[in-house]
Amino acid sequence: MLDIAALSVTLPSKSGPIHVLRRIDLRLAKGEIHGMIGESGCGKTMTALTLLGLLPEGASVRAERFRFGTLDLSRHVASDLSALRGRRIALISQDPAAALNPVLTIGRQMDDVIRSHHGLAKGARRSMAVEILLATGLPEPEKLLKLYPHQLSGGMQQRVVIAQALATGADFLIADEPTTALDVTVGAQVLKLLRQLVETRGLTVLMITHDMDVVAASCDRATVLYAGISVEEGPVGRLLSAPRHPYTQALLAALPDAAPHGARLATVEGSIPPPTAALPGCAFAARCPFAMPVCASPPPLRQEAGHSWICHLEPT
Amino acid sequence: MTDVVSVENLVIRYPARGLFTARPAPALRGVSLTVSSGETLGLVGESGSGKSSLLRAILGLIPAESGAIRILGQDWSQLDGAALRRARQAVGVVAQNPFLSLSPRLSVAEILAEPLLARGDAHDATLHDRCAALLARCGLPGDFLPRRARALSGGQAQRVAIARALALEPKLMVLDEPTSALDVSVQAQILNLLADLKAEMGLSMLFVTHNLKVVAHVADRLAVMRRGEIIETGTSADLIEHPQQDYTRDLLGFGLRRR
Repeated sequence: MLDIAALSVTLPSKSGPIHVLRRIDLRLAKGEIHGMIGESGCGKTMTALTLLGLLPEGASVRAERFRFGTLDLSRHVASDLSALRGRRIALISQDPAAALNPVLTIGRQMDDVIRSHHGLAKGARRSMAVEILLATGLPEPEKLLKLYPHQLSGGMQQRVVIAQALATGADFLIADEPTTALDVTVGAQVLKLLRQLVETRGLTVLMITHDMDVVAASCDRATVLYAGISVEEGPVGRLLSAPRHPYTQALLAALPDAAPHGARLATVEGSIPPPTAALPGCAFAARCPFAMPVCASPPPLRQEAGHSWICHLEPT
Repeated sequence: MTDVVSVENLVIRYPARGLFTARPAPALRGVSLTVSSGETLGLVGESGSGKSSLLRAILGLIPAESGAIRILGQDWSQLDGAALRRARQAVGVVAQNPFLSLSPRLSVAEILAEPLLARGDAHDATLHDRCAALLARCGLPGDFLPRRARALSGGQAQRVAIARALALEPKLMVLDEPTSALDVSVQAQILNLLADLKAEMGLSMLFVTHNLKVVAHVADRLAVMRRGEIIETGTSADLIEHPQQDYTRDLLGFGLRRR
């Protein structure tokens, strides 16, 4: 469905180029929920903006390979992608209350989406809205159409946002921290809904998150980003139980349930390299407990049973 | 052992929004809890469960309809003016978002000096050193003092917020979602810092969060809130291993079934 190799995005600035994405590799099969994991500044959101064709003016985008479905976009990544936005690719953002227009009814907002993407007569648009709202697990959609966003709970609002994404006809959803603003139990229901929609409607979902619980509960495979670089990719079970990149290992060790009750949590010293820095070698070397002199050169790609990572360390 | 906080049968009801609308259901329906000296109590619940109302009532920010709250044996509703201000020095508060709780216009030194000056400390040469010591205790070097809060990372800013809460040597720290705005690796650093402070200073803590796993790691005891009531309470180990309520299991069960 999506196959990206060595995607880089650079923004110009007065003090030199800003490398917001350095080397992103991302592959999603159709019908997959793929997690994109990383901390603030790792490039999760920039990758999403690239996919949505929403990069700021002047951004320089390069990729060795960039395929979306049967389309080869590697020559004109930015312009081609903005044409796909809303037709093939839709976004579910973190805060549903901000994604919905507070002064329009749900019915009006659903209708706007359906009219601009499908045309259709008024009655047909309405029944399509009702059908899609039902598919997202919202009870009494007829009644819901007359309500305003503030009259809904956060979980219901997020279902409406998902319904709008479906109404565009997009088959590739980017879910950017879709459960962060929701309560844990409500978030779990939203993840369940996404899984169900993947199965019934053949969707593909890129799930952007910093929350390993969300990844474990909802994703098939996941990619770990660090400083704008894909450092590890694999099936979620292996990634979480046997991480191979030292950064992924550090990230998992820092989780509160990784240590016995009350024991000190493992932390990573230092901070991520600034996006203005040139990184000729491994981006994590300065913070890595296993760093060696060779880490000053680009790390090799290693693979094992459908699991891949970049690191100078020999696999054990 | 004296209780640092004791709450008995607390009922909180907010006033009706309009003249003709009915009063909303109570936000707290008879909550009782205690935090003893040196203990960390984790208070867990989702939005609307009443944890924020309980927190506000403990801090004396909203009135109780009935029930009693005592901090270090004192009932704050009986105090006013200077006596209340003095009593409040025993409680330090850390909020969720350090960028909202720290003024972006002040330097770190000014932020840390503010509670000391408000208490009536002299603006003398030792003030700078005391601010530096507070900062060092929270793991930041003295060269952060002239910086503005907006120039800090999230983790650094939260360390400053914790240092400010410690300025008046409180007996109780009230932590409202102190790590939920932070990245996982930074969260680990802050949780370690809180554990150190607790061990060094014998602080009592009331740690409020929706993330059961975060608080279970640092708390001695947990209380799970739902719909204005405490539905389950116990030692952290017990509650994690043998949750009695389905709701607690829900809070625990989501995710981390590491396949």
